[in-house]
Amino acid sequence: MRARKFWNTVPMKLWLLLLAAILFSFFSNDFGLVDIQKTAVIVAAGIDKTENGFSVTSQIAVPKGTDRAQGGTSSVNITTEGPTVSDCITALFGKTGWVPKLVFCDLILLGEEAVQEDVIAYLNYFLRNEYMPDNCLLAVCEGSAEKLLTSQSAIDDASSLAIEKLFSDAAEKSGKVLTNTLKDFAIGYYGVSESSYLPFVKMAPQKGAEAGGDSSGGSGGSSGSSGSSGGAEEQIYTAEETALFLKGKMVGKLPAEQTLALSLLEGNVFAGTFSAQENGQAVTLTVMRNSGGVSLDMKGTPTAKLSVDVTCRLCCRGTAAPIEDISSDVVSPAVLEDANKVLEGYLGALFENCKQTGCDFLELKKSLYRSSLKKYREWKDYLLDTVRPEIVTDVKSMK
Amino acid sequence: MTKISRRQLFFFLAFMAPVGKLIVMPARLARVCGNDLWLPALAQFLLQAAAVFCVLLLAKRGKSLYELLSGCLGKIAGKVCVLLVGAFLLFAGLLPLLEEKLFVQGVFYDTLPSLLSFAPFFLFSAYLCSKPLASYGRIFDLLAPIAAVGFAGVMVFSAGNADFGAVLPVGASGPAAIARGFAGSFAWFFDAALLLMMLGKIEYKKNMAWQGALCYLGGGAAVVLFLITFYGIFEGTALNQLFAFTKTSKYFSGFTVLGRADYLFIFLLSLVAAFYTALPLTGAIESVLQAFGRPAALPVLLSVGLSGIYFLLVYLFDYRFGDVMRAVTEQAFWLFPVFTLLLPPLLLPLKGRKHESA
Repeated sequence: MRARKFWNTVPMKLWLLLLAAILFSFFSNDFGLVDIQKTAVIVAAGIDKTENGFSVTSQIAVPKGTDRAQGGTSSVNITTEGPTVSDCITALFGKTGWVPKLVFCDLILLGEEAVQEDVIAYLNYFLRNEYMPDNCLLAVCEGSAEKLLTSQSAIDDASSLAIEKLFSDAAEKSGKVLTNTLKDFAIGYYGVSESSYLPFVKMAPQKGAEAGGDSSGGSGGSSGSSGSSGGAEEQIYTAEETALFLKGKMVGKLPAEQTLALSLLEGNVFAGTFSAQENGQAVTLTVMRNSGGVSLDMKGTPTAKLSVDVTCRLCCRGTAAPIEDISSDVVSPAVLEDANKVLEGYLGALFENCKQTGCDFLELKKSLYRSSLKKYREWKDYLLDTVRPEIVTDVKSMK
Repeated sequence: MTKISRRQLFFFLAFMAPVGKLIVMPARLARVCGNDLWLPALAQFLLQAAAVFCVLLLAKRGKSLYELLSGCLGKIAGKVCVLLVGAFLLFAGLLPLLEEKLFVQGVFYDTLPSLLSFAPFFLFSAYLCSKPLASYGRIFDLLAPIAAVGFAGVMVFSAGNADFGAVLPVGASGPAAIARGFAGSFAWFFDAALLLMMLGKIEYKKNMAWQGALCYLGGGAAVVLFLITFYGIFEGTALNQLFAFTKTSKYFSGFTVLGRADYLFIFLLSLVAAFYTALPLTGAIESVLQAFGRPAALPVLLSVGLSGIYFLLVYLFDYRFGDVMRAVTEQAFWLFPVFTLLLPPLLLPLKGRKHESA
């Protein structure tokens, strides 16, 4: 009754006016204040280390017109140099007259040489920038970031869009790639573990394919950089390896199997595949359900328990099989036993990698810090050296 | 309506007062106390709730602050005291105003706009503050559901991305840091002083004092929950996230398809924050009106004049927010407990009597 009385006291017109004002603000599209002709909409940035500081390759989206035949996203790659990343970005304005806009920047690529130093030297600009989304993807690439960004992708007009496809939700769930964002990398860096990881992108020529002369790849940039030109060899990209970081420096890599193992530990995998053997023949299993975790037991010698539970179905055999076998998803006990061994091997290698590199991507220090500050202070310098692994895998078949 | 009803007052305490603590305070507390950022806030809410309880006990007498003070201390002393409270509110209102300005410029624009983009706020405050304080009752009625929906929306989109274990271990930052965080956060807790200016305009009902304190604690619980979620999302980088309630919800996975739909809820909270920012100014004007009576043009003149002064101050401190925050939270922070925590219980023994000219 009281509630009804309250609602009756508020004029409906006022509610409608308020609602209209809020909806208008939301759908105003900033009142069209972004002048696309004067703005460099940076969709990806590649950072390399140079002798005098940094070089930043900005991939800038360019409107391609309404011609359906030439639809898609065109881009221009421009490389600028300077003593800081900020200088490189602002040099864009001096060289092109375009005002750099980072609000749509979804990818930052770090060159292989750049990650030999503390990468926060490059990334702090983006962390400080209120107009830059901190959930943009972050990755390391083989060789220089400029070379990768200016390469001609075989699968998309812009190389950054092709690379971002590698980091899609579906790709991540396959367990073939471990993605990370600027925000989460910074959390790892500034956390007690001081560790994080990034996908490691490689490119390789697509055999038997060349870009056409009217390719939408970018035109040349400034400072001696160039976009991909017509006729350049088309490239495909992979990111199955994972770069490990300790205190901002790259200290090692996870090969593809360990990338899968870490994905399984994080419980991320759905519809990803891995192979086991039966009678010496390869059998591929599809992960249908996955849970995993790492727990730390500090009683006696510190022990890290790495547990992975997987429910899978038979996906493919490397040999011919009768139709009765093809019609069944059930995985035989022999394959399950071998699958357990395979995963145990992956997890064991993963753990050794953690110890050897000192990169605490298993977050053992964080776990200890949260459970006992006293023990953390006692063990923080020795934990990774002394901790023993206890690996528990449970691979089950779909019934 | 000449009085603020119980429902309207509870709406203010539970829904509106917490919004002012969601902009800069979380990052500030994270800078000082790290994962213990919620402890100083919890302590502040408990103390403020006690102060709110005292003020609402005073409301039972149906007298304004000036009537209470002048009845015991005399007219002159009463005027001086009530003007001092008004001056304090003017001072306390400066930091939220600068916060609001930075918030509008930083969140609603994608490049740094000029001060003029915030100037319409002063037209809004000049109009709003010329209205009698009692008319805020209807505003509380309107804003409470807006704040509730806005906060719920932000939390729904935020909670899923938070690692709530990040606030462990409790007390890791140490007693000294927690104490510094507690002292520094006084600047955001002056709600009891705002209520002091509403005395005489509150329609007192039985059990209102403890119910009001409970409502305030309810709002406080929401803020503490937000602080824990905020730290759970940003962990060690939380101190870099200045406009907290606009940051936490953006990681919701559905937004890659939907776009930033959370801005709808952020707009709702921003609307409430704008009214909350103007409230100290209204309180300051009310103190002058209580001390010198209410000639017809005075509220308008005061409102325009003080809004103009605030505009000048904002212009003066345009790029000195850090200095102002340090001055308020590290040097002048002691003023806040004096006017918000000490004054209400000290007023309780005063009998007071109705002043003729009031």
